[in-house]
Amino acid sequence: MKRALGEDLSLPMRLLTYAILIIGAVVMLLPFVWMLSTACKPPQELNLIPVQLIPQNPVCFENVAGLYERSEDFNNYLRNSALVTLGRTLGQLITCSLAAYGFARFKFPGREIIFALSLGLLMVPFQAIMIPEYLLIRQIGWLNTFQALIVPGIFSAFAMFLLRQAFLQIPLELEESALLDGANPLQVLWYVVLPLSAAAVAAFGVITVQGAWNDFLFPLVVAPTNADTRVATIGIALLQGQRDTPWNLLMMASFIATVPMLLLFVVLQRYFIEGVSMSGLGGR
Amino acid sequence: MKRSLTLFLLMIIAVFGVGFAQAQDDAVITPQACAEGGTLTMRVWDENWAVVIQQAIDLWKAEYCPEGDVVLEVVPWGQYWDLLRNNAAAGDLPDIFNISQDRFPFYRDNEAILNMQPYFDAASIDTTLWGSGMVDPYRVEGDLYAAPVNWDTIAIFYNVDMYEAAGLELPTDDWTWDDFAEDARALTNAEADVYGAAVYSEFQAGYPNWIAATGTEPIVDAARTECTLDNEGSLEALNFLNGLYTEGVMPSISTLGGTSADDAFNFWLSQRVAMVSGGSWKLPAAFEQTTFNWDVVQLPRNPETERSRSILHSVGYVAAANTDLPDLAANFIVFLASDEGQRFFAEAGGVAPANPGLQDEWVAAFDSEKNIQAFVNATVDSQGVTIFSELGDVPNELVINIFDLNMPVEEAVSQACATIDEALAGQ
Amino acid sequence: MATRTSKLSTTTPASGRAWRWLGATPMARRRALWGIALVAPNVLGLLFFFGIPVVMAFVTSLTEWSGFANRPPVFVGLENFTRLLGDGDFWQALGVTTSLLLLTVPVGMALALGVALLLNQKLQGRAIFRTIYFLPVITSTVAATVVWTWIFQPRYGLVSAALAPFGLGDLNWLTRPDLILIPVAVVVIWQRLGFDMILFLAGLQNIPRPLYEAATIDGASGWQRFRFITLPLLSPTTFLIGVLATIGAFQIFDQVYIMTARTTRGGVGGSATTLPLLLYETAFTESELGYASAIALALFLLTLGVTLIQLRLQRRWVYYESGAT
Repeated sequence: MKRALGEDLSLPMRLLTYAILIIGAVVMLLPFVWMLSTACKPPQELNLIPVQLIPQNPVCFENVAGLYERSEDFNNYLRNSALVTLGRTLGQLITCSLAAYGFARFKFPGREIIFALSLGLLMVPFQAIMIPEYLLIRQIGWLNTFQALIVPGIFSAFAMFLLRQAFLQIPLELEESALLDGANPLQVLWYVVLPLSAAAVAAFGVITVQGAWNDFLFPLVVAPTNADTRVATIGIALLQGQRDTPWNLLMMASFIATVPMLLLFVVLQRYFIEGVSMSGLGGR
Repeated sequence: MKRSLTLFLLMIIAVFGVGFAQAQDDAVITPQACAEGGTLTMRVWDENWAVVIQQAIDLWKAEYCPEGDVVLEVVPWGQYWDLLRNNAAAGDLPDIFNISQDRFPFYRDNEAILNMQPYFDAASIDTTLWGSGMVDPYRVEGDLYAAPVNWDTIAIFYNVDMYEAAGLELPTDDWTWDDFAEDARALTNAEADVYGAAVYSEFQAGYPNWIAATGTEPIVDAARTECTLDNEGSLEALNFLNGLYTEGVMPSISTLGGTSADDAFNFWLSQRVAMVSGGSWKLPAAFEQTTFNWDVVQLPRNPETERSRSILHSVGYVAAANTDLPDLAANFIVFLASDEGQRFFAEAGGVAPANPGLQDEWVAAFDSEKNIQAFVNATVDSQGVTIFSELGDVPNELVINIFDLNMPVEEAVSQACATIDEALAGQ
Repeated sequence: MATRTSKLSTTTPASGRAWRWLGATPMARRRALWGIALVAPNVLGLLFFFGIPVVMAFVTSLTEWSGFANRPPVFVGLENFTRLLGDGDFWQALGVTTSLLLLTVPVGMALALGVALLLNQKLQGRAIFRTIYFLPVITSTVAATVVWTWIFQPRYGLVSAALAPFGLGDLNWLTRPDLILIPVAVVVIWQRLGFDMILFLAGLQNIPRPLYEAATIDGASGWQRFRFITLPLLSPTTFLIGVLATIGAFQIFDQVYIMTARTTRGGVGGSATTLPLLLYETAFTESELGYASAIALALFLLTLGVTLIQLRLQRRWVYYESGAT
């Protein structure tokens, strides 16, 4: 049971490790706890100074009801978010693993420049291209549509870079033997490279899903006014008025929107630690 | 009781001839039937408003314009202006949209807003029926470009329990700065970490009201030619507030947790301060979130000018200059500005409707003995918003410099004016 | 997009000679074609949906434009760029951005690596810890803002309470120009940590376990194993995170926007105004879209320069198992 990677930690080291981890965890956790606590507060307790971490009269379920009363279509927004997230993630898994494999393993003219150029798109702040992006999406007639929310999101320089680095770490011999067996590059990618990169693919999954789910500005620019395509982040922002914001309902909505991400992470996180054995690399 | 207050207000109006220049009973805007059909888009930033406006749309379609329709779009307040810039760049601004007084000059300067004056004239609407603070910021060379939706004014929310515990008499609407300072000192309890007042935060609810009371147009003059913060009146007001701050009667920005008037208001809700200046938009929060006795009183009067003045902001309905349906858009705006179109706002009770004739209904909607009429009275000698969006956060920075970093008033003011003058020159 | 696709397809049936540029041997050419085909969907998609807007923004940098369709942009040549050189606000923002880069990237990466290493061990509850350290990535920004403002609030805040014994309980963290970057950097690191931790954890899985076992048998100490196995074999991930964190640091916007939203946007006297925030203010508050685009282009070139240096330097320290670069 206590078989460690290298050796067992000595007791003092173990305690020190826990102490460090726990202190860090408190800092990481505090805003989340705050979100939960506010989500359960009645209006009278919202703005107390100094801050009250534990609600005196928690009203969690009343606030859930209050949220759905105020934002009737919130479940639709969640569904739209799920649709957009699914579309983008599956799309990125295809386009970005193909591209990552292409950049990692194939020499072609202009490879470095094209790679740097793609990466370069990450270097322009979205605030600078917000208006041009709107003009472009409008020009192709996609404003306020699901394809505007999904299609541009299936291309990613970031995910491509992430997967490329992972693919580069795989020993060449494994792929070469597959190629000698007559497999084409797509088969090699699917049957050899991707399974060997399980941990990286899991990281990609978590990060991409999280990014698509929490995306706010892009959906707002390309689908600003259509309630039918509204995603959860925009639904939550709509709770925030110019002069009055029901913070408890807003935090409840934020919390509800967080739950799927949390579950996803809990499910996927074991791949970060067990990726290698899962991929059957133990035998090499 | 309420009736007599209204009568009192009417007398004030009759005597001074400011604010609601017209007597109430003939200040009625009559909607007209539309001449053409068509579908308009309308953009607002608040879902609660959208519900109210939708009721108005339904009535308009039923009574005045069966061939017309309005598609309501709601976008989050935090991104409303940025998204509008996308539309401006594409030339597809919504036919009708909400605008604020500080944003209006920019859109009008870029010829993006329809001049409503001809339509008001055609409907024989005397636009002076709305008080000057309400519509003057929407006027260019005498022409009115917007119909006001609602108004906000500022008054003092005070903790009645604290007043009684300190054995003080409750303030009345004729109190002066000196009375205010005296009460604030008496209400301060340093040991219990309780402050007397927090009344300087933010452009709308804070120090500009005090500047206006001296007869100075706060921050920038209405013609947008000069910074007024270094004028005598501004210095008088800021020094008065700074005096209370240095005495420890008012908390610093860091103590309040932010420059927003909401931060100060939350401090008041937490019973850490006895008096706070707040907008009429805070009334629902005060009713919902207080755990103590409270009431409202008009801002105190400046001892020399004897004026109590409130910053007034009014959201406007405007039409895009390049709308395909200007007549229909104007017809609908006139309907929204009419008593019939505004009634829904009055009944909803949240924001106050612009029309003079509907104030009683708005006050009555709260169904409370509290002095809500103070906000209505504050419209009488009100000051429209003089800042504009290009000034950025200068008005907040000034507050931090004085009330948090303890910079001398003169120095903070000259720093702010330097930035403001630069922005004015760049227009 | 259509022209790009057709360009690619019209060149398909060509003679061997014309195909020389693809590679020396038929095999190399085949592989080059495969490579191009593999990267094409993503690259073309990126170029269309993000490349076009970027080019539009850069073209705008040669104009003066208030952003209204009815008042088209006026071509002004390089005027925006000469103005940039003499603009004190620009240099101040560049300084802020550089400070934040130096404050956040090394510390953030070291912390993320440390946490990843700790959580890569057989520790009880490590799954829970990993989840907790990931939480900032998915926590509502609004909640995070409120809490961080509260943590750094003078007198009542946690930081003040912790520093009070040293007589530093009354520092106005969020308003003082000389202090504001510290809370901002803390929030940036806090938000990035879980993200980088995941990448490090994934990278650690690619290090073959037998290497450690062999090294242990050879008598290598824990530090030696870390120095000579973990660090080199993790270097592709470290490189990835380094590049992304640097690009990210040049783009810091949200955290400043949020941290200063309750005081004055961008800090007193612009003390926390980063280049992206300056760009935003220029575009959306001052409505000078041409000048804002010039700032964007300058920021782009700056980031690109730093990234190219990193790409160049990787050959010296990044170790790829497959020998490729």
